[in-house]
Amino acid sequence: MASKPNSSGRSDDRRIAVLLLALPLGLLAATLIVPMISAINISLRDIRVIGSDGPFAGFDNYARVLTDGTFWHALGISVVWVVGNAVVQTILALTAALVLNEKFPGVRVARVWIILTWIIPTVVVVIIWRWLLSPSGGMVNPLLIQLGIIDRPMGFFASGPAAMTSLILINSWRWFPFVAIMLLAGLQRIPNDIYEAAAVDGAGAVARFRAITWPLLQPTLLVLTVMGTLLSFNVFDIIWLLTAGGPAGGTETLPVLIYETAFKAYRMGDAAAMSVVASVLMIGLALVLLDRLAPKETGR
Amino acid sequence: MRFKGQSLAGALALTVFGALPALAVTDVKIWHMEQPPHRVQRVQELIDAFNAANPDIKVSQEPQSWGEVYAKVPAAMAAGNAPDILFAIPDFTTVIRKAGQLDSVADFVKELDEKHHFIPATVEPYSYDGGVWAVPLYNMSLNFWYHKKAFADAGIAVPTTWSEWKAAAEKLSKDGVVGVGLPANKQLYTDQTTYAVMVNNGASELFNADGTLRFDNPKTVESYAFYKDLYKFSSPDAANWTWGEAEACFASETCASILQFSVISTYDQQGGGDAADLGVAAVPHADGEKSSSTIAYSNAAIILAKDAAKRDAAKKFIAFLLEPENYGKFLNMEPGLFLPVTADGAKSTTFWSDPLVVKYKPQVEQMIANSHAGMLFGFTGGHVFPAIGPISAQNILAETLQKVVINGEDPAAAVKAGQAQMIEATK
Repeated sequence: MASKPNSSGRSDDRRIAVLLLALPLGLLAATLIVPMISAINISLRDIRVIGSDGPFAGFDNYARVLTDGTFWHALGISVVWVVGNAVVQTILALTAALVLNEKFPGVRVARVWIILTWIIPTVVVVIIWRWLLSPSGGMVNPLLIQLGIIDRPMGFFASGPAAMTSLILINSWRWFPFVAIMLLAGLQRIPNDIYEAAAVDGAGAVARFRAITWPLLQPTLLVLTVMGTLLSFNVFDIIWLLTAGGPAGGTETLPVLIYETAFKAYRMGDAAAMSVVASVLMIGLALVLLDRLAPKETGR
Repeated sequence: MRFKGQSLAGALALTVFGALPALAVTDVKIWHMEQPPHRVQRVQELIDAFNAANPDIKVSQEPQSWGEVYAKVPAAMAAGNAPDILFAIPDFTTVIRKAGQLDSVADFVKELDEKHHFIPATVEPYSYDGGVWAVPLYNMSLNFWYHKKAFADAGIAVPTTWSEWKAAAEKLSKDGVVGVGLPANKQLYTDQTTYAVMVNNGASELFNADGTLRFDNPKTVESYAFYKDLYKFSSPDAANWTWGEAEACFASETCASILQFSVISTYDQQGGGDAADLGVAAVPHADGEKSSSTIAYSNAAIILAKDAAKRDAAKKFIAFLLEPENYGKFLNMEPGLFLPVTADGAKSTTFWSDPLVVKYKPQVEQMIANSHAGMLFGFTGGHVFPAIGPISAQNILAETLQKVVINGEDPAAAVKAGQAQMIEATK
């Protein structure tokens, strides 16, 4: 029979817990809270070039940013980017996860193979896709011409909508395997007995998916939705390397605008104000998603 | 005991004699934007030669990208990690000067001028506010490059006017070939091609003499409208182009012609290398204009080092580069692209004896001739307008062009918005 821990033992445990938490919390404070305070400080000053000083400007930077159409345009582009990625990645990942959850020869290899796109460095992804989509020498245009879908080479980044669609597909191609693996883990946690009982009751594949798979995947989907939204919103590298926010601002998401404002327009104060507003929006969105999508506790 | 004493003496000697040279070496870090591997290699060869001749100085290079350097240098300066020598162009120099405390190099330039005789036009863009802020290193100008055979087969003469240019581009655009490769990216290359069109329509001045903006004028609007007409015959992915994509398009003969500083290296390595088929001419001018102009850059070296020893070492390296024997090798890191800024450099045997320069001598001579009619936005009419820095950094010329050719905005409205954006940028 295990002995009941006494109060001094509990106190020691608490001390150890505090000590163990101190390091990660300290690191978080140093790497997150300090820069955030610094960003808020910069956002209240008229600082142009990074590293230079500037006079206190109150909320002038916020007023300028929030009344400037560029900010709202970039926010709109960010929404398209986040929603587009969420939809495409969820469809691709769910399909892949359902297939990989089945038993068929080579499934183990397929489960490893699928994560290859996810582990390729962004720069390599960019080079691969720029080459594939190039109208002069790329492979995709001749293929589409051969299939009769287009009659002449097209520019996949030639207009705002085309560039945004291409970016979403490329980013989804890269990230859906990660989502698929997470969903696969969720699928494998669903007890087989439930499916067997449903099958005995005469439920078909679609009915089993609607009544069992989909509801029981909700916790995993919730985590993925919150995480995916925040991660997608903050994506900078692939957009910057493929289109740099162009053409004509067609893919200029908020992170890209913030970078350009800070380092090309040399308006550090404005960029910091945008960052603070974006952070507040993201925190708010995360709280709303957690509140709305989390399974509600039922009274006992 | 004796052995121990000898060991100690030996260790002391090693420490003293081993450490002394290390202590005396002055490190000089260079940032330049000449990223292609063969250029980096040529710069390294010159650095190695300099380091070997100057054991008390250790020069090293860190190639950067034009796309990022406008952001990176002010950040590096703020972090105290800036290079000692920074290669720059005139508008970028105004940005650097605003971001940090630059010291004038007027005396050093004067000293070099007495020895090598700078072409005055290459020093002027760096001379303002009572100082000279960089040492000119090389000149470059934009040219009209074309495949002679493609033009001959289509029965077209080399265009000299806009109407001829447009007709040629239209006629050459068939069977997967684009008549003229023109970019529309929000990037420096598009700034350059846009300005090259503007200067050929009498729209070279972005500023009035009093420093106010005059970008929004009928000549600029006409230039943007013409670019839009011509862009119809460019590549479908040109909205994403930088210099490399244009050169690749030309080398693969997908582009019958392009506007580019030089294509010689790429053409020689990837485009067949038939010197007789490579045409270069001045950028065509508007029908109402009498002669062609182009955009020309005097590239220079800024000395960012503050430490006296580092500044002296940096000057010594720059002086080494401008010695005619080294200078020819330096310019030929990209044969034909970089043109001399000094009188003795223009006669350098190492410049003219390079195998590629020998092979493409007529083209190089034509490029030098074209460069004589070169202009640069913000540095025209004998004036220097430092306000050009943020305008160039934000690529407002190119952004305005994107509004016209990609979004289909009316050129007059886009140019008006462009001027408003420039005013905002320079506040």
